[in-house]
Amino acid sequence: MIKTIPFLRRTAQVLSFLFLLYLVIKTAFPLEIKIPVDLYLRLDPFVAIISTLAHKGIIERMLPAFGVLLLVIIFGNFFCGWFCPMGAVIDFFDRLLFREKKRAKAFDDQPLRRFRYGVFIFSIIAGLMAFQVMYLLDPISLLTRTLIISFYPPAIYIFNHLVPQVQSLLPKNPFSILNIPLPVFKVNLFIFIFFMGILALGVIRKRFWCRYLCPLGTLFSITSRLRILKRSVTDDCTDCQKCVKECPVGAIPEKAPQNCRQQDCVSCFKCLECPPQAVSFNFGIPAWKTVDGVNLSRRYVLGSFAFGCVSALMIKTNPLQSESGLKNNRLVRPPGALPEEEFVAVCTGCGECLKVCPNNALQSTFLEAGLAGLYTPRLVSRIGYCEEFCNFCGRVCPTEAIRPLSIEEKRLIQIGVAHIDKNRCIAYDTEKICLVCNEQCSYHAIVGDEKKRPIVKEEKCTGCGICENKCPVDGESAIIVYSSGVQKKLKPENSNNKSG
Amino acid sequence: MDQSLGKKLTRRQFIKGAAAVTAAPLIMETLPFYGTLAHASGEADLVIAKNGSPSQLLQAAMTPLGGMGRFVKKGQRVVIKANIAWARTPEQACTNNPDLLFSLVKMCYEAGAKRVAVWDHTCDNYQFAFARSGLKEAGQKAGADVLSGHGRNVYKQVEIPRAKKLKTAEILRDVLETDVFINFPIPKQHFATELTLGLKNLMGIAWDMEIMHKIDLHQCIADINTLRKPDLVVVDAIRILTTNGPKGPGKTEDPNQVMVSTDIVSVDAYSVALFKNPKTGKPFKPEEVRFVKLASELGLGEIDLAKIRVKKVSAT
Repeated sequence: MIKTIPFLRRTAQVLSFLFLLYLVIKTAFPLEIKIPVDLYLRLDPFVAIISTLAHKGIIERMLPAFGVLLLVIIFGNFFCGWFCPMGAVIDFFDRLLFREKKRAKAFDDQPLRRFRYGVFIFSIIAGLMAFQVMYLLDPISLLTRTLIISFYPPAIYIFNHLVPQVQSLLPKNPFSILNIPLPVFKVNLFIFIFFMGILALGVIRKRFWCRYLCPLGTLFSITSRLRILKRSVTDDCTDCQKCVKECPVGAIPEKAPQNCRQQDCVSCFKCLECPPQAVSFNFGIPAWKTVDGVNLSRRYVLGSFAFGCVSALMIKTNPLQSESGLKNNRLVRPPGALPEEEFVAVCTGCGECLKVCPNNALQSTFLEAGLAGLYTPRLVSRIGYCEEFCNFCGRVCPTEAIRPLSIEEKRLIQIGVAHIDKNRCIAYDTEKICLVCNEQCSYHAIVGDEKKRPIVKEEKCTGCGICENKCPVDGESAIIVYSSGVQKKLKPENSNNKSG
Repeated sequence: MDQSLGKKLTRRQFIKGAAAVTAAPLIMETLPFYGTLAHASGEADLVIAKNGSPSQLLQAAMTPLGGMGRFVKKGQRVVIKANIAWARTPEQACTNNPDLLFSLVKMCYEAGAKRVAVWDHTCDNYQFAFARSGLKEAGQKAGADVLSGHGRNVYKQVEIPRAKKLKTAEILRDVLETDVFINFPIPKQHFATELTLGLKNLMGIAWDMEIMHKIDLHQCIADINTLRKPDLVVVDAIRILTTNGPKGPGKTEDPNQVMVSTDIVSVDAYSVALFKNPKTGKPFKPEEVRFVKLASELGLGEIDLAKIRVKKVSAT
């Protein structure tokens, strides 16, 4: 029984990762899956706490996350070791790439263990003021973002190139098999390098990221001090140090193996493989006190706090961000997005909306939305446009930064307005009849004049960007969607009683 | 010009035709008047069928033309270029009638087709267009593959030797290589080109449709039609869009007609009259739609309806 526990844990980790992968793949048309595709993010209490505080109101979709926090209080930090898909990936690569011998020698990690509390305090303070650093470090958001932006497009690329090869080996098929539209994302390399960096940290120590950086882990650490299921060691202990060596997170102090750092223990139950069977886990009374706690001096806490405040102020006073600064009018947010300032505070940059967008229209920002808006979604019409009968992005957003809208509501949201560059437009510049924009417009917002030249009717334009997307002018489109600042609701009208 | 028209009637075809004529009244409950007139090589160049359900209209229209067996032989591959361009519902008449597509695919299979593929390069997202138009479901129910040209790998770069302006284009490989090619348009009002008809429907076999607007839309439509002459044109005029075309939604009319022909120019020349020219207030004349005129100048078909055999039939 005890021997099977590590096996069970590995299986749970693999299944958890595969399930995340399955949900990510299912985050696509027609989105009819019964389970919410953003399930993992909805169960992430770190994201829940931050986004609820930033949103200044309850976010319904994030409520299950507090249930997870409750479970942690009962069973200790079971999440990191058993179910965290990021932990599973890190474990896998630690095993694959870094053999124990090659790893750096054991060292006193007391200062490092303190580091993640510093990161935690910093990210909470900075995050609540302006800077979205905690979303960049949240493991679930980070993993889905990396999978979607950096790994999904190459996978499709390989698939599209491999299928014809395999097909040519098969008996002659009279019709060609369709390929999947290749998604493209601008920041893929940057996100990939960040992710590789995290994996590379494993060379220093197993699960380096989890032990010393991960803010979700830190939250669980703090909570699991209150745990009810506790480790206890009887007097049979022979001080053989087996558990000390094998503990994957180093939670058992070398000098006193009968103790356990509750804040570090991930409930993997590996220490149950004790030769004299002295170790057991029992339910007990929660106690805040723990052994070998992190020495968070007042200076350290205040330092992290101050650092968070200062960096938040830096961002607030950056011209990209501050209100007096230049607003980026090409920054078109998806329909239903919260007002800009609130949006960047609530959006976790998880990439779910990027994945689900059927036209690849949503792209991750880099610095276009200022420093605070890193990795938030924007509509890039030249790559894709907002599909008329689609409301998927709002349906998959875990923090409701993009509000869920019905199709009818969504069709009346104006995210921007198209403007024609008459110097470049084929119809204005030459005698040719073009009118692709008029033909493509879903909302009758582009009409033609007597010379068959397009004119935009602002009161009908939703800014979906189909005109910009299909414009046949080379390079930059001759019709461009500019953000209207705040998303407006257009007046509904009976679309059947109009002349074109 | 049309190869199958020039062929002699073989004995086998004659027997088949004769068998069909004899069997038809036995199978069908009501005896349609055209049944006895069935002829294996066709007795008309353009047939217009009125009054009836989509499947009846198609049946009625195809019989004077020689039946589907004239075009689709046993074991052949068939490609239907439908109009599934927009994510609109069938009632809005921006895409083909699903029942008619179903009957058309069924007829191809009944004539012995090995496989039928329905293609379109959609303008809206293909998943939404296929789902909302109901055409994917209808086509698949009839056993066809309903395929979208969203991926560049299904195209083939070809020269267009007879073209005046569009000298080269990437064209759906299936359309170029198939045994039988059926053009299946729906006539609609179109703001840029006045109307969209069978000739314009072929824009959807090209990868880059927008570039045609840039070069010269009317000429490019005529040019692309020189590549592969459809073996059969089936015009879905059951319900047509008369305003806000081609994407709609707009006003619709219900002529409840199906037109079939082997000559794409004449079928377009005929169907322009379904619409009123806003300038003159009278029905369109074929010459008033420039791409039809340009296509006839390229020798793609007969624009003068007086010179072809037109037959009107009633389906019920």
